Amino acid sequence: MGGYGRHVVERLIIFVATVAISVTVVFFAPRLVPGDPLGALSLKLANVGGNLGGQALVDDYARRFGLDKPLPEQYVAYLRQLAQGDLGYSIAVFPTTVGDLIKSALPWTIGLLMITSVISWLIGSVIGGVVGWASGRVKALQGLVPIALLLYTIPYYILAIILVFLLAFLWPVFPISGAYSAGMHPSLTPEFAADVLQHAALPALSIILVSLGWWFLSMRSLIITGKGEDYITWAEAKGLPDRRIFWAYAFRNALLPQLTGLALSLGQIVGGALVMETIFGYPGVGYLIFSSIKTLDYPVIQGSILLIVISVATANLIIDLAYPLIDPRIRVGSSGRM
Amino acid sequence: MAATVPVLELAPPPAVEGHGVLGILLHNRKFLIGSTIFLVLLAVCLIGSQVTGPLPLRSGTFKPKLGIGGGGLTILGTTSLGQSVLAQLFQAIPYSMLVGVVAAAIGTTLGALVGLISGYFGGKTDAGLRILIDVFLSIPTLLFAILLASLLRGVTVPALAVVIGIFAFAWPARAVRAQVLSLKERPFVQVALLSGLSGWEIVWGELMPHLSPWLGANFVNAFIAAILAESGLAILGLGSQQQMTLGQMIYWALSYGALLQNMWWWWATPVLMLIVLFLSLYLVHVGLDEVSNPRLRGAQ
Repeated sequence: MGGYGRHVVERLIIFVATVAISVTVVFFAPRLVPGDPLGALSLKLANVGGNLGGQALVDDYARRFGLDKPLPEQYVAYLRQLAQGDLGYSIAVFPTTVGDLIKSALPWTIGLLMITSVISWLIGSVIGGVVGWASGRVKALQGLVPIALLLYTIPYYILAIILVFLLAFLWPVFPISGAYSAGMHPSLTPEFAADVLQHAALPALSIILVSLGWWFLSMRSLIITGKGEDYITWAEAKGLPDRRIFWAYAFRNALLPQLTGLALSLGQIVGGALVMETIFGYPGVGYLIFSSIKTLDYPVIQGSILLIVISVATANLIIDLAYPLIDPRIRVGSSGRM
Repeated sequence: MAATVPVLELAPPPAVEGHGVLGILLHNRKFLIGSTIFLVLLAVCLIGSQVTGPLPLRSGTFKPKLGIGGGGLTILGTTSLGQSVLAQLFQAIPYSMLVGVVAAAIGTTLGALVGLISGYFGGKTDAGLRILIDVFLSIPTLLFAILLASLLRGVTVPALAVVIGIFAFAWPARAVRAQVLSLKERPFVQVALLSGLSGWEIVWGELMPHLSPWLGANFVNAFIAAILAESGLAILGLGSQQQMTLGQMIYWALSYGALLQNMWWWWATPVLMLIVLFLSLYLVHVGLDEVSNPRLRGAQ
């Protein structure tokens, strides 16, 4: 299928452009804003009781970091550094590299986000599908629609604050913050796993509940619009049981647009989850960014942002490339997805 | 109040001609309820902040940590620093709305422009702009806003709104482009072309009236997203230090430990107000959607 080849090329171009634009923005943004990184660094060091040394030493640093060279040259050097996976050093916790900081934060974020996104997508799609299928017949189920609407309009972190108050403060069933209890060492024991799950419960719940509302609503409308389609009428005419028509015909067909929805909303999910992490003190990338903002640790902010953008772009690319393979109806044409 | 609805910008698509958009809008219950809540909130806050002046915002004006139900300005309690929560709300709600208006205006205008150019002129311009649109659709743009806001620390609320608005162009651009592609083939555009109108005259005079109802609905959507983005930035500690917004109120409440000290009035009021604001805007959005897309009318 020649169309697929073209689709692959198109999506690859967008992936490369995404990475290129992000790298460029991340590189130039701090340099175009007035301010001098070494000045900021020496101020920062002075705050914690150290110093960079005399002017000669500052000049030496400028030379070492390549800050005395023209911008394009710095840019090329930065790209070369990135290509080797080197994100530089943290300013706040100096000898630690940005890469190491992110490496210890990333598993928390990815673990939490992947599991909760999949769970809420599945639950939301199934309930939304059932409610859509029953619309006009079972009145009681329609009461879920306004609830889903409410959940959908509430941002993650707002729900997070409410959940912390209700389930960690008023009625303390879950710990208030962190990813595991202080004093515990990460290990592969059942106790540690239970502790991690307990700490992840509230952040997970807030992501699941909010995105559940959206998946519910979109699946419901997909099923309702699909009900009038010929293949459903035909399946009914054949005398297939209602349950089978729903699962094997209506639901199955609506799953694909839902998948596109997942791909398109990935960026939003990640953005919202980052803010949410700070409310729960969950030690993922969002919390890392939050604490780096407090200490003006630009290399860490830049590195984290770059990494997340590239991760989201990669996930999008995978879904985009898989989509036409799953759904043969899509003749990949000029318009890409949807 | 109804007279403030921008009638000209909401020129009707052919399907609703003969009714008058304003009439239809005012008959739409969702639009009516949503916009009433919004306008009443705005009016109360503007009048309230004029009446109270800046003093109740200063720390130490009242006794700190007063609970809800006090008299006058302390009716919604006070903060750890002895500021009136009510007076903070009076300032925060209009500023949050300001973020929404500014960012939505920038995002929608920029998006419409990119979408129109991309869809109407086609060719290489379109190919380039499409990549740009797709890139910004898939990027978590909040991250770029975080980067910029962290570099421009302590900016004013409107400046923050501009940053948010710039990154909000992708959704409207994508939708406008798709609309323009289909409108372009309609006979009235062909007639306009044959009668010698220039590209910009066609875009402005022929295409815009058909796009504007949709742009109105998108504007409200972008409004919600911008308030959301600003409060997200504020909670991360990147909000404006100079003016209060609802997100900034939540940030201060959280950083002074309002949650753990059970000073629920401090964090719950901005949280509740954000939800009310979102719901009112959502109703306006659904209302506009139903008007611009007659097929949706009475669907629920």
